[in-house]
Amino acid sequence: MGKTQKSNWAGGKAIVVCLAVFAVLTACEKNSGIKVYRVSKASLEESAPQQQDSMPTNTAAPRMPTGLAPVAETAVTTPPNWEPQPLSQMRQASFLVKGDNGAVADISFVSLGSAAGNVLENVNRWLGQLGQAPITEQKLGEITQRLRTSLGDVTIVDLAGLPDNADPARDGRIIAATVTTADSTLFFKMRGNAELAEAQKGDFIKWVAAVCNAQTQTGPPQMAAAPPQAVNAPQIKWKKPEGWTEVPPSTMRYASFSAPSEEGGKIDISIVTFPGDGGSDADNVNRWRGQIGLAPIDANTVTSQIAPLKTEDTTFSTTDIASDKTRTIAAWTRRDGRVWFFKATGPNTAVGKEKSNFVKFIESVRF
Amino acid sequence: MLHKLLDLITSLKLTIICLAAAMALIFAGTLAQVHLGIHEAQQRYFQSMFVWWPPDGRGFHVPIFPGGHLIGAVLLINLIAAHVKRFRWTWRKLGIHLTHAGLIIMLAGGLFTDLFAVESHMRLANGDTKNYSEDMRETELAVVDTSSDDLDQVTAIPESVLRHNRVIDHWTLPFQIVVRNFYQNSRLKMLSQAGEGARPIANQGPGAMIAVEPAPPATAADERDVPSAAIEILPKDGSSLGTWLVSDALGAPQTFACGGRTWMIRLRPSRYYKPYSVTLQKFTHEKYGGTEIPKNFSSKVTLIDPERSVDRDVLIYMNHPLRYRGETFYQAGFQPDDSATILQVVHNPTFIAPYVACVIVAAGLLVQFGFHLVGFSRQRRGAVA
Repeated sequence: MGKTQKSNWAGGKAIVVCLAVFAVLTACEKNSGIKVYRVSKASLEESAPQQQDSMPTNTAAPRMPTGLAPVAETAVTTPPNWEPQPLSQMRQASFLVKGDNGAVADISFVSLGSAAGNVLENVNRWLGQLGQAPITEQKLGEITQRLRTSLGDVTIVDLAGLPDNADPARDGRIIAATVTTADSTLFFKMRGNAELAEAQKGDFIKWVAAVCNAQTQTGPPQMAAAPPQAVNAPQIKWKKPEGWTEVPPSTMRYASFSAPSEEGGKIDISIVTFPGDGGSDADNVNRWRGQIGLAPIDANTVTSQIAPLKTEDTTFSTTDIASDKTRTIAAWTRRDGRVWFFKATGPNTAVGKEKSNFVKFIESVRF
Repeated sequence: MLHKLLDLITSLKLTIICLAAAMALIFAGTLAQVHLGIHEAQQRYFQSMFVWWPPDGRGFHVPIFPGGHLIGAVLLINLIAAHVKRFRWTWRKLGIHLTHAGLIIMLAGGLFTDLFAVESHMRLANGDTKNYSEDMRETELAVVDTSSDDLDQVTAIPESVLRHNRVIDHWTLPFQIVVRNFYQNSRLKMLSQAGEGARPIANQGPGAMIAVEPAPPATAADERDVPSAAIEILPKDGSSLGTWLVSDALGAPQTFACGGRTWMIRLRPSRYYKPYSVTLQKFTHEKYGGTEIPKNFSSKVTLIDPERSVDRDVLIYMNHPLRYRGETFYQAGFQPDDSATILQVVHNPTFIAPYVACVIVAAGLLVQFGFHLVGFSRQRRGAVA
């Protein structure tokens, strides 16, 4: 082989290698496309307790919510025709009931975080599974039944409908029950053939009541971990006063509580946080005044009505405004680029009685 | 022509030009960090094919300098091509071959790290369990089908798609998503606080009560953008369900019904799910006595991997990361009040490349200098004899 041929051979190799390297480099790009994946229901972690963070399909079942015993460890007996099924990662109890002509119904018990308990959303989800249109809050009130248990009032709904292309032997009805406790929401559900579900309804409700009554509250109920409602907001902790019930927060709220009022109605306590300074104190106080039917006041008067409340962690600004019937007490603080509002609104005298608890609550807040 | 091209890509001049350009780029990129922030400067100067002017990329813009990817790629091609062209196998050149191979591995490793490495964070308060980490610099619109009893189906639309596609039509969704507005950084205010003339950009959910103000991109290392968008949901029948405001600043997801299913939408930091979970047992932060100077901080975590039957406690602290399933968990930070630990999670398939490259280069240099030393000794012995 002559010198020129050798040179051409080497040059050809170099070109081929360069092209290969260039092809590899141009093909390399971080995957920036749309991803699709499935996670367990606990991916409602945005509104569920911390330990309920989402788990992928191939991971262990999430932990039980604090204070609730697993169903398997309770002494609840089930009807003999309910066949126990292997538990999936979310289910803490699972049964199959068989009827005539191949009819079956699937019964499950799932426990999620306390903030997963918006009944209307869940009912509309179940209606969607049956191919039915969503309903309104008003309609929901008409179709729900209450069952009193030691865990609290259980909401029961009985929904019917057959989705397109569904097998009527296996679908057509959902009887579901849900109850929210301080730190969890329990879902009981029977879905299957409509007639079979009707026949099993009595046993199902007895089972729901037995499971709820068998649950024992064990953990310290006073110290509630901050639900990561605003995931991007830092998590804070507080000590919930006795008599307050944690309720599912709405979209804008970090947390919500309810306190009873002797005059009827309830005191609504909320925690809201925003990045930034959240506007001026005068604007906020006047907005709250407007919400209880009071006219706005000038900034100097607002300032004169704001009192500092020093806690171990920080100093809050507080105000107390009342109309003829309604009263609002609020505390707020700005730290780490966010503003935190804590507010209690309700009947005038009830809020007055609850004020000392509200102050204790604010003093217990830890950032 | 072919010879000219070959001479060009194998020339030493090209190597020198690339090295000089890399020096200039590093200098300019370092200065740019002052006003752009480290992340933005990295993206514009080093993780790009070209440095563009004007830098915002809107409308007319021209490349004014090769970016890090281009310089690195040309240097790599130049090195490989020159080596292939001049390759002659002799034992005496073993050292040179090894040294060049090491340099090629190092350059390629650097480039692949830049292209494929994923850095994210896992923030855990005591007792928290997570099976995902989050990229605080990237955002995704999570559209979640919540209809199933046990599983949610998540369609995660990255920020780059939201930014560049006005209409998003995906096979998993029975509706189209029309991006009406997109803000890379924004401030949200309640309408009542936003002043006269403020208008909401959404008509559904809490967004109907919120005004969105655009904000300049965050540049400081401890700041991050708050992206927001207004998205309209258009079912396939051509109707509209309304427009929602989605924002990183809105904590909770929003829901709506479409196609007989309940959907949840939320703009959130991009997530990377893992087939295992990490639980923080205890975060420890020791300080030197009488000062606020950190002495040591560590996170005791429990790693649970059902697939591999792993359930063990691990202590993560400075220079002692947890390496598991191709990911490395470093102790990166903590909340100012020690209420939570922040672990940096790095997935870098080519993390071994620099170590391998260094060993090969060192071996190559040893061999090369060894040959010279032996030759020199023989010559000297011959001269003495």
